[in-house]
Amino acid sequence: MDFVQVLRDEFMGRFGERLRIEDVDHAKRGCHLDITASGVDIEEAASVMDGLGFTLEAISGIDWPAEEAMELVYDFNKMAEGGRIAIRVRVSRERPEIASISKIYGGANWYEREAHEMFGIVFSGHPNLTPLVLPEDATFHPLRKDFSA
Amino acid sequence: MSVDATTIQGETFVVNMGPQHPATHGVLRIKLTMDGEYIMNAEPVIGYSHRMQEKMAENRTYSQYFANIGRIDYVGAMIYNFGYACAVERLAGIPVPERAEYIRVITSELNRIASHLLWFGPFIIDLGGLTPLLYAFDDREGILNLLESVSGARLTFSYFRFGGVCNDIDDDFVAGCRAFISRMRERLTLYRRLVTDNIIFRKRVEGIGVIPPEICRKYGATGPVLRGSGVAYDVRKDEPYSIYPLLDFDIPVFGECDSMARYRVRMEEMNQSLRMIEQALDKLPSGPFMAEKVPRILKPPKGDCYFNVEGARGSFGIRIVSDGTEIPYRLKLRTPCFANLSLFEEASRGMLLADSLALLGSLDLCIPDVDR
Amino acid sequence: MEKQTSPPSALIRFAVLDKVLALGRANSLWPMTFGLACCALEMMATGASRFDISRFGAEVFRPSPRQADLMIVSGTINKKMAPAILTLYDQIPEPKWVIAHGNCAISGGPFVFPGQYSVVEGADKLFPVDVYIPGCPPRPEALLEGILKLEEKITGRRRWPIVEGG
Repeated sequence: MDFVQVLRDEFMGRFGERLRIEDVDHAKRGCHLDITASGVDIEEAASVMDGLGFTLEAISGIDWPAEEAMELVYDFNKMAEGGRIAIRVRVSRERPEIASISKIYGGANWYEREAHEMFGIVFSGHPNLTPLVLPEDATFHPLRKDFSA
Repeated sequence: MSVDATTIQGETFVVNMGPQHPATHGVLRIKLTMDGEYIMNAEPVIGYSHRMQEKMAENRTYSQYFANIGRIDYVGAMIYNFGYACAVERLAGIPVPERAEYIRVITSELNRIASHLLWFGPFIIDLGGLTPLLYAFDDREGILNLLESVSGARLTFSYFRFGGVCNDIDDDFVAGCRAFISRMRERLTLYRRLVTDNIIFRKRVEGIGVIPPEICRKYGATGPVLRGSGVAYDVRKDEPYSIYPLLDFDIPVFGECDSMARYRVRMEEMNQSLRMIEQALDKLPSGPFMAEKVPRILKPPKGDCYFNVEGARGSFGIRIVSDGTEIPYRLKLRTPCFANLSLFEEASRGMLLADSLALLGSLDLCIPDVDR
Repeated sequence: MEKQTSPPSALIRFAVLDKVLALGRANSLWPMTFGLACCALEMMATGASRFDISRFGAEVFRPSPRQADLMIVSGTINKKMAPAILTLYDQIPEPKWVIAHGNCAISGGPFVFPGQYSVVEGADKLFPVDVYIPGCPPRPEALLEGILKLEEKITGRRRWPIVEGG
């Protein structure tokens, strides 16, 4: 996967020590590169991916109450040329906040709304952070581990 | 929105389409800001079919969750079974015997044809033609009979197990498949003469609902929506799984980006699925249909993995995070209809309302797949 | 059990006319197109050519509740959707009937678990239901049997023989 190498070089060049890039076996983990990028501006990372022609496939939220953190996994994929990259970012569980990438990827709009309503993560710069799947007046965040109706 | 002669003269009004509407294929609500017959903004409001699939994954064991997986995209449930079974097998390292792989592919491709037939009927109804639904459903009953004989269910299958399938296929099934394939090939010719070459139909879909490939990329659209916009991405070819590398099939791609292109992609996909089923039946090996020594209560090792398959509507991905217990820690469902619907707002600006229904129908939505 | 026919049409009841009206209503039920989830597909299959609900007079699926008299609740009822369903039920003119089609409409189906936040556990939490059809999803034959049971409820007699198993 040549562009995976290109991506690796681009990311290392731009962000250097703030990243941890893991080459993973696609057959075991389902992606080609797993990048842990907690100290990195996610907007910049997303614009790098956009510039290289990747598609944003999913934004998954994971709640880690034992580690007082919430994790967001951004799955990128380069359609028709193959190549799946996962970028992981951790935010604090008490005040989960991260920049929104909805200006770069239009699809992120709905994914971020969903992560907000399910976990309570605030995406600053998002044009319309209202519940998407839950009722409009919902104030609870169901996918948090401490939630029960 | 710029102020020009049309907006000065007229008033815009807001119309609600749904959540109960015959053309939204489920409980979808679209808030339309209209200027006469033209759509200024169409905002889909979803969540009327939210069934907590991701939260339920944290309350069910891995095996119990098969019942939920069949109900996410209930039209293509076999393929979703496939994705989930493979994701857990990838995480837990469970091998699958060869016969089981062939059975999985045969039943999944039959389900894909059934799903496309189910899309075909209501799509033509949205455009005003009520008859093709009856033909499509008749063919679909043939497939459902076959699938019911092996899995016991007509619609929401839970046929797969970790390490194989729960039931073997017999000679009656194979003979039934072959008879179905030859009948379906004639029916596809019938559909071409009845619908595809029909001038009324073509006027309704050609040039309507153009989605450029750049919008598809920004919103993550996959499946026939992406292939109808000229991008040759199919998970079965790009990230092949199971025995798809051993089968000879083409990926239909059309570059016109309109509703007709998406329609033609799906009709041709039915043809290709028939080819795949034929080849798989010819090559079907004997052997076990289930791996040995798969624990009844499965506890995959800690870690996470992603697996995606080509669903009938696009790329269906599952991200499983396991903490070593028999209940998943987190299960993220990346469903194709969610991404496909998210581009509707941008793609439908300035369209006539009737044309936007052609666009909505050609996206092939299944609303519980959007809401999960 | 007393032979209860349709609800009283007015203060004045005409016995034989009521029976005729009941027969007419039972044999031309007009369902509303109200598929919520998976059961909706079995409802569509019942209306299609193989199972043919038109034999029993009920093939005219009306999108507008004002023109329907039967609401077949097929699929899971959501808390977000519940106000809309109630509005639709209110908009159907009397006499009206409700069939709860599938496990989700009967009791929430497979989506009930401790701590669930989104599913209304059954259509009868919102309005009275006449016939319950269990299954997930029930076969089209089950829906037809449910329609026949509703006809029996409306007219007081069952016109079609009960199919014995075997």
